[in-house]
Amino acid sequence: MELVAASKMKKAQQVALAGRPYTELMADMLAALAPRVDESKHPFLTAREVKIRGILLLTTDKGLCGPLNSNLFKLVVDIKTPAKFVVVGRKGAQFLARTKRDLLADFPIDDRVPFSAVKAAAEFLVEKFLAGEIDTVEVIYPQFKNTLVQEPVCRPVLPLSNLREFLDKIEGDSSVARARRDEREMRIEPDPTTVLEALLPFYVNRHIYELVLLAKASEHSARMVAMKTAKDNANKLLGDLTLQYNKARQAAITQEILEIAAAQFATG
Amino acid sequence: MPLTLEIVTPEARVYSDTVETVVVPTVQGELGILPGHIPLLTQVEHGELRVTKGGQTSLLAVGGGFMQVEGDLVSVLAEHAIREEQIDESAAEKAVERAQEALKNRGQLDATEVERLEGLVRFSVAQLGVKRRRR
Repeated sequence: MELVAASKMKKAQQVALAGRPYTELMADMLAALAPRVDESKHPFLTAREVKIRGILLLTTDKGLCGPLNSNLFKLVVDIKTPAKFVVVGRKGAQFLARTKRDLLADFPIDDRVPFSAVKAAAEFLVEKFLAGEIDTVEVIYPQFKNTLVQEPVCRPVLPLSNLREFLDKIEGDSSVARARRDEREMRIEPDPTTVLEALLPFYVNRHIYELVLLAKASEHSARMVAMKTAKDNANKLLGDLTLQYNKARQAAITQEILEIAAAQFATG
Repeated sequence: MPLTLEIVTPEARVYSDTVETVVVPTVQGELGILPGHIPLLTQVEHGELRVTKGGQTSLLAVGGGFMQVEGDLVSVLAEHAIREEQIDESAAEKAVERAQEALKNRGQLDATEVERLEGLVRFSVAQLGVKRRRR
């Protein structure tokens, strides 16, 4: 199982990395567009009073992946304000049902992570957000740091109220921060609002998709590590037990020889 | 100073090279980009993208997306993109047939599925257009 998880992990990491340039470029375009539109014009960009938080919880379908899910649940337990949940993965759905939280929907996403499945989940959230049923869209997922470390993170996706700040943040840790900027005024066709309206939903879907990919990569890494620990423990246990068995066997043999010798001594 | 063209899709970076000119299908018609173009951000339509490099023209089929021109860097952000030589004509034809078959009872499908299928048809048609252009 360690090997299975290892090969799945490699694939998941590759997919997560392959999508990177795309998301970075999109963030770059958004950055170019942002100063040219009025932020209050688009519902995605306006902050409103947060009454009910909307949270997308990315968990796994199967267990055997160490503390990955329970670390996420700790974050969920910390949420005291009213919140509605959308969940990916069976473990998360079970947890929310057990703790009696407000579960709106549950989306199954398999290991191949089809974009359409993620899009359905993302669009569901956006719809609720636009309808005013929830006032934020946040994602709780295991951030993939490296194979050994996955950190549970709660990342706000909507509203992008402070677009500038948000972009600075993502550009800070991406390689896109290009030094060579064109000084001339940018033409935007047909017009900024149209492009922004097309780009934003696209961006939100894409952003959530990337988080799902990262969550999958985390899942497989966590599982690989958990399985490796389990295997090592089992091997150690096996060694101990073999030793004990051999000792017991030797003791029994010695005992038997002693008995035979004693019997012979008594009769002889 | 030649242009640098980058075409990126969710799956991979499809094209990254220095070129002389690029012709891109945008929502407002075909748009040719030469070095020294003013900075531009626009929406890209399904269609064929022509690249000229060293007098040679190569074609690519692109799906919908966005394009940004900044300095000498042309970045195209597309849902799909495929080089001419990689297009499988019969596969594209079959994809069109299958999608159109599925679209016949569009009343029963939900909106996102219809949208996906229509995108697929447009991209496949664009692929066929690119392939047949040479004949």
